Amino acid sequence: MIPVSVVTGFLGAGKSTLLRRVLRDPAWADSAVIVNEFGEIPLDHDLLAASEESFVSASTGCLCCVVRDDLTRTLLELLRRREAGEVPRYARVLVETSGLADPAPILHALMTDAALGATHALRGVVTLVDALHGAVTLARHPEAQRQVMLADRILVTKPDLAPVPEAAIRALNPAAPLGVAVHGAAEPDWLFAPAPRPADLPDWAARHTTGIGSIVIEREAPIPALALTLWMQGLAEQCGPRLLRLKGLVALAEQPERPAVLHAIGHMVHPLDWLDAWPGGNHHSRIVLIGERIPRHFPARLLAAIEAEVAAEAARRT
Amino acid sequence: MTPPELRDLLADALALWEIEARPRVAEGGVVLTSPDGAVLRVVAAAPGEHPVRWWLERPGQRRPCTSVLGLLRSLRNAVGAETGAVRRLTVARPDP
Repeated sequence: MIPVSVVTGFLGAGKSTLLRRVLRDPAWADSAVIVNEFGEIPLDHDLLAASEESFVSASTGCLCCVVRDDLTRTLLELLRRREAGEVPRYARVLVETSGLADPAPILHALMTDAALGATHALRGVVTLVDALHGAVTLARHPEAQRQVMLADRILVTKPDLAPVPEAAIRALNPAAPLGVAVHGAAEPDWLFAPAPRPADLPDWAARHTTGIGSIVIEREAPIPALALTLWMQGLAEQCGPRLLRLKGLVALAEQPERPAVLHAIGHMVHPLDWLDAWPGGNHHSRIVLIGERIPRHFPARLLAAIEAEVAAEAARRT
Repeated sequence: MTPPELRDLLADALALWEIEARPRVAEGGVVLTSPDGAVLRVVAAAPGEHPVRWWLERPGQRRPCTSVLGLLRSLRNAVGAETGAVRRLTVARPDP
């Protein structure tokens, strides 16, 4: 399986600078980079100086708009050429999105395409935020907000020019590990490590939402699997496209001794993964919901109502 | 679920749908006025009415709902909220 990492960030955040530095690192030189540029003339592509082992492919047009065809075709074609010896035998793929891309369709394609799934595995999303303009950009541009919300890791660039806009970032994504890089100097092993599991996430503090933001749902008692499924279905149905991401550790009533890892992007749900043990001895379910204009208490109240119905039905049957 | 809990859930749902209708606890359940002026009442079904769990009532009409999700669906239609945003869960392919 070839790992695929997505590098995103708003216009001018420093994605190409970062990737240029990454490709210079001998340990990361055997990377294929797919550069998506919004415009007819591929420019970033030329600015990325590929080493002999690396390979850079450009696609134009907005990747998130044509992603199912374009990204899938590009990745599979690259793989075919790799196997045929036409391009260097790269070990991983880094996808640089355009600054205006919404990463969600890109992730959906990587998560659901059967042909890609047989050969490629999504490693995670790295989002770059410019310290100088980041707070203003995040306030004004929904694309930038979504890039941060969907990040598994966030790298703040240009921290030598302005303070890290941590409050603006954390309002959108309270949990993703945050790093800083001057002139693209970041540690690739950290950047492109597998996406952190919720157990690794450092901050579960609640963040309110009046627009775009995150909501934390915590439960002491284990949740029946049926209730969890119905709840997620209800959220997807009622919130529609406003539901952006769900991530969490859940104690299922059927197997409370092991935490189930919940991960969904929009209405797309990953099959549950299981950790061997609860981190830190805390057996409470905790789920972070990232969404847009979702009333703060709605997810928890809906879950409570569904749990009550499931419990009542179970009691009626016994 | 108590009537105040039901009221709070419905108030959140109405806010989510961007519908102006202030639900209140009254008449043994929750009462609200839909944008078309109709008075709607939501009441819990009696235990003997299983599998019905909720009734959504408006003048001359009584709709049974077998779950809170069904109740929200019916209420959403009743207040004229957009229904086009309905999305079903899709399961991603398993990781290898």
